Amino acid sequence: MKHPLSTTIAVLAFATIAAAPAFAATRYGKGVSEATPVKLSELMAKPDDYVGKVVKVEGLITEVCPKRGCWINVAGDKEFQTIKVKVEDGVIVFPLTDKGKKVVAEGTFKKMELTKEQAIARAEHEAEEKGTKCDASKITGPQTVYQIMGVGAVVE
Amino acid sequence: MNWRRLNNVLHRDLGYLAAGLTLVYAISGVALNHREDWNPSWKLQVETRTFAPVPVSDRDTMTAALVERLALPGPPKSSFRSAPHLVELFYERWSVKADATAGTATIEKPRGRFALREMNFLHLNEPKGLWTWAADVYAVILGFLAISGLFVLKGKNGLSGRGKWLAGLGVVLPILALFFLLWRPGDSGPRGEGEGRGGGRHRGDVRPEAGTAR
Repeated sequence: MKHPLSTTIAVLAFATIAAAPAFAATRYGKGVSEATPVKLSELMAKPDDYVGKVVKVEGLITEVCPKRGCWINVAGDKEFQTIKVKVEDGVIVFPLTDKGKKVVAEGTFKKMELTKEQAIARAEHEAEEKGTKCDASKITGPQTVYQIMGVGAVVE
Repeated sequence: MNWRRLNNVLHRDLGYLAAGLTLVYAISGVALNHREDWNPSWKLQVETRTFAPVPVSDRDTMTAALVERLALPGPPKSSFRSAPHLVELFYERWSVKADATAGTATIEKPRGRFALREMNFLHLNEPKGLWTWAADVYAVILGFLAISGLFVLKGKNGLSGRGKWLAGLGVVLPILALFFLLWRPGDSGPRGEGEGRGGGRHRGDVRPEAGTAR
């Protein structure tokens, strides 16, 4: 009969190997529901209709938070449009290599009214994260910004 | 075998078993503690290039021109424009961001930090599934090691001697830390996550953070 310790080691080794990442789609957080995705162009055309609601979007990851992987920008069906999907730090961590991959993400659509100072602070923070310079002079007044507070995503 | 002998044997053998993963969690823990200052799993290799400007047209035409002028290895997997002249090309695990009219481009290649990427992968339970159970078993073993360690020795170096003071200090210190971090005079209850003096939330969370609707 095998020593119990050897059995434990074998089980742990098996669990480690079995838990190795699959090369198929990667599920983050709670994943996504079966709900029909909303087109990003529709979301941005009538954003106030969706504020506070859970929305599911699909598109291309154009940017990943370079420091903590705690947000992604998703481009949808129309050019020049992206939406930020912000996730809870540490709960979901998007790797930088997810950039350029297809994603389906789900979360609550949020609207934020920023004063000019808040908008500048936000731009400065983003620039710091990206390691770029912030041109605060481009922000001339208050901003309304939208984002999805993501709880789950599936990246292909 | 009396209980202390059994305790010591289990403490020794489980200690050997847990040593490797404890190091993984310890090293990764330090790396993750400083996420405000760096990306503990990835580093970005950035290369800047210049090219003869490409006139603004449709995305496919501009993409083809950029591939040629930047001598890129074939068409990208996908592409995107954030503005008519700003084109991004995505390849497998790397990307190009080009300002077509300025004739400048940056090529970004994320690289996993040696060993840290893998350690953080386990520490953050990114694999989920069976690893969740493996990590739970490890946590139970750590709990056992903490308790069994109290009873390894007896006498003046055991729990009844100096051990009680050191073990007590180990309990009091985090309680003191919690008191100073979470409570302020006049509070009626504990403060929420990140609201204390040393709250560790992402700096971006204390002010509105959102993607501009473009």
